[in-house]
Amino acid sequence: MGMLGRRALVLLLAALSMSVIAACGGDDDDGGGDGGGGGAAKSGGSITISQTSQPDFLDPALTYTVNGIEPLWLVYTPLLTYSRTGDAVKDALVIPGLAEAMPTISEDGKTYELTLRKGLEYSDGSPVKASDFEHTVARVLNLESGGSAFYLGITGAQDYIDAGKCDGDIKGIDADDKTGKITINLDAPNGSFSNVLAMWFVGLVPGDTPCKNLTEDPPPGVGPYKVTESVPNRQFVMEKNANWPDLGADLPGGNVDKITTKIVKNAQRQAQDVISGELDYMQDPPPADIKPEVKAQYSDRYREITTSSTYYMFMNNRVAPFDKKEVREAVNIGLDKPALARLFAGEVAPGCSFLPPGQPGYDEALDTDDCPWGNPNDPPDIERARQMIEDAGVAGADVTVYGNNDDPSDKVTEAYADQLTKLGFKAKPRILDGGVYFQTIGSAKEAPQTGFANWFQDFPHPKNFFFLVDGKSIQPTNNQNFGNVDDPEITKGIAELNTEPEMTDEIAARWGELNKKLVERAWIAPYGHRKLATFMSERMDFDNCSRFHPVYFNDYSSFCLK
Amino acid sequence: MATEPLADTTALQGPAGWEEEAEREHVHGLGPWRLGLRRLRRNRVALAFGVLFILLVLSCLAAPLWAKHVAHTTPEENHLSDTIVIDGKKTNVVALDGVPIGPQYLKADGEFFLGADPNGRDIMVRLLYGGRNSLMIGVAAALMTTILSVILGVIAGYFRSWSDTVIRSLLDIMWSFPVVILGVALGVALARGGLQIGPINIPGDSLAVPIFIIGLVYIPYMARPVRGQVLSLREKEFVEAARAQGAGPLRIMFGEIVPNLASTVLVFFTLLIANAILLEAALSFLGAGVRPPNPSWGTMIDDGVERIATAPHLTVVPGLMLVLTVLSLNVFGDGVRDALDPRAKVRLEH
Repeated sequence: MGMLGRRALVLLLAALSMSVIAACGGDDDDGGGDGGGGGAAKSGGSITISQTSQPDFLDPALTYTVNGIEPLWLVYTPLLTYSRTGDAVKDALVIPGLAEAMPTISEDGKTYELTLRKGLEYSDGSPVKASDFEHTVARVLNLESGGSAFYLGITGAQDYIDAGKCDGDIKGIDADDKTGKITINLDAPNGSFSNVLAMWFVGLVPGDTPCKNLTEDPPPGVGPYKVTESVPNRQFVMEKNANWPDLGADLPGGNVDKITTKIVKNAQRQAQDVISGELDYMQDPPPADIKPEVKAQYSDRYREITTSSTYYMFMNNRVAPFDKKEVREAVNIGLDKPALARLFAGEVAPGCSFLPPGQPGYDEALDTDDCPWGNPNDPPDIERARQMIEDAGVAGADVTVYGNNDDPSDKVTEAYADQLTKLGFKAKPRILDGGVYFQTIGSAKEAPQTGFANWFQDFPHPKNFFFLVDGKSIQPTNNQNFGNVDDPEITKGIAELNTEPEMTDEIAARWGELNKKLVERAWIAPYGHRKLATFMSERMDFDNCSRFHPVYFNDYSSFCLK
Repeated sequence: MATEPLADTTALQGPAGWEEEAEREHVHGLGPWRLGLRRLRRNRVALAFGVLFILLVLSCLAAPLWAKHVAHTTPEENHLSDTIVIDGKKTNVVALDGVPIGPQYLKADGEFFLGADPNGRDIMVRLLYGGRNSLMIGVAAALMTTILSVILGVIAGYFRSWSDTVIRSLLDIMWSFPVVILGVALGVALARGGLQIGPINIPGDSLAVPIFIIGLVYIPYMARPVRGQVLSLREKEFVEAARAQGAGPLRIMFGEIVPNLASTVLVFFTLLIANAILLEAALSFLGAGVRPPNPSWGTMIDDGVERIATAPHLTVVPGLMLVLTVLSLNVFGDGVRDALDPRAKVRLEH
């Protein structure tokens, strides 16, 4: 064969094989690991699971994405926690974790007293001390974590931050290592503080843990698992923690010995690998075009679950053109919610309410006919929205729409940019890597105009959603209030309702009113609430070992092999 | 312009050598370019691929016509909630479960000829516009490389001294990085903040960024052989003669030496376009090239990879366009090289 023919053939083969190679990938998958031996093994074995992007952080003080929280809540147990029984109602209630009992709360609601259980050890064998709690909280504050706002109500928290020292003292926390007693003083009563104490941010870590991002070398914790390997953007490994104590049936240990989480960008490939058994579980649902096949052929190991979540577009009201209320209203009117819902393969129900189903105060009518911007299930009134933007004098304005490259966020971002263009802007998408997205849009320096955002409940209390639109939660880095919403009336309402110790029907209704006010003032543009899925390989015992937790989603500690 | 036969026959001989060839072929009186054209005309394979390349370019240039008069859309426009009529029946462009419509060919009068992507965008329109972007980036980058390579190669080869040392060292440093890795690194770095060259600010999502990156990384691949040729040409008598006539360095470099490089540069240029198009596709595939929502063949292949099992045409069609374009350029480039000097060994060494 002559040189020309040979070169042509090489080029042809190279190009045609490019797609196949890209689809197959070149990763050195080690498959699903060893199984449980012959017969139905409930305990033991190794599994391999996948996530679409690297967790934002593998540090309990910092992580604030599902990718990080879903594994780490099994590695770092706070003083209070949630049970893992599979009973959705029971598992949504706060119970003692590393504390002996629920806190004693003073009459004025400002003092919490707990006692650490005795004899606890971290995964590295070092003893757990009561004073470790103060240092754990200190790390959250010192690192300007996205969760800092939850702990600013502790007396002396702001002074600690201002002092800028990792080993500084937080006046409002007293701990006695001899007795294990921990006393927490708050500046004001906080009706959701028990839930706050149950967040993974304050999963205990040793008192000498440095105040820096430990993603590449996570600190020891107290949990059914420990992180034994972390290679960012490739994989991390969790293994059973031999020092996990017996805390009763409500807080069982893990079943499998080892869980390897691989970062696999391609969702189609993840789904194919779960089908073939190369992967045992994928964190994200299968993509749209393979879902019909999964539902039809693998229904025995696939399940969709409605979550307490809201998908919305943030609009930075400190940056033009979204500093104008009429522009934000126009976006809410012109946003094509049914169109965006299609990008989620039917997993998003179009909506208008910021509070999602399942949250106290949620009103289904607000997600349909009572939406002030039109029924979210109907096509939008683009003409009216376009006119409003023209009247506001911002037609033709340049708008950068932020999104991340996790499927389908990138497609949603491009669709949103196209919709803004139809409304009269010159909108362009800016797609960032999923591993750095939320840190980037949460940076005051970046000052993003608008973009993709979503929120899955941290705990079943409306405060957890309103924290995203609370003026007091704005911070210069790791800001979760991406739109810098600072409405005095809403901030005041949040503060007042949050002091209520009990969630009565009346309090729930008041949260509902606040939700309605937020939507009517167009500070954000919600467009739906999402279902998640559990999809497992043939090896897994799907029927008995696939707990979905109301707060922490898929419970890896329940996973077991057949 | 004086001409001299070159003693070293492994390099291109230039016009003097062509005279020898003309004599061998019994076509006295034909200039070197006409002789080259005559040889090229005889190379039917090269011509065929040249015609193929022109057809591909013309079809991509016709993208606005297709978009406006046939598809009635733009490459960025989403049609998530829209419907089209197929065989008298209204069909969702994107179904409620998120599955987009497949190739319709002429069933909907040319709309969604190759189907839609998950955002409801017309794939045929994006393919043609993507081709425009890929070709434009390829040609512009090749042009940038050529101009800078000739300037650097001529300066380095002519003056030799410290300028040669500096330029050669810079080229060696760039040469030591694999082209794709260097391209990806630059692409990622420039994607966020864009490019600032003096008063000129190029935003990160501009097509000028991949043009700049690709144009930059290929400089060593052309500048080094150009320098090598200049080193040889500067010793020739015609250069001496020009110097004796009082010509300064600039006049000699660009009046005497550069014209003798013309055929080398021309061949390199065609080969560079092909490599630049391939590199653009690779960078865009890796997310470091063309930014969304701008289409290119590379971004389309990347988008299609996710659905390769269920909609392989999303990847195969842009891949095929890429293959045909690069193949036709390479074959035609080989033909041009053979026509200008059959004994030349010009190639882009990786």
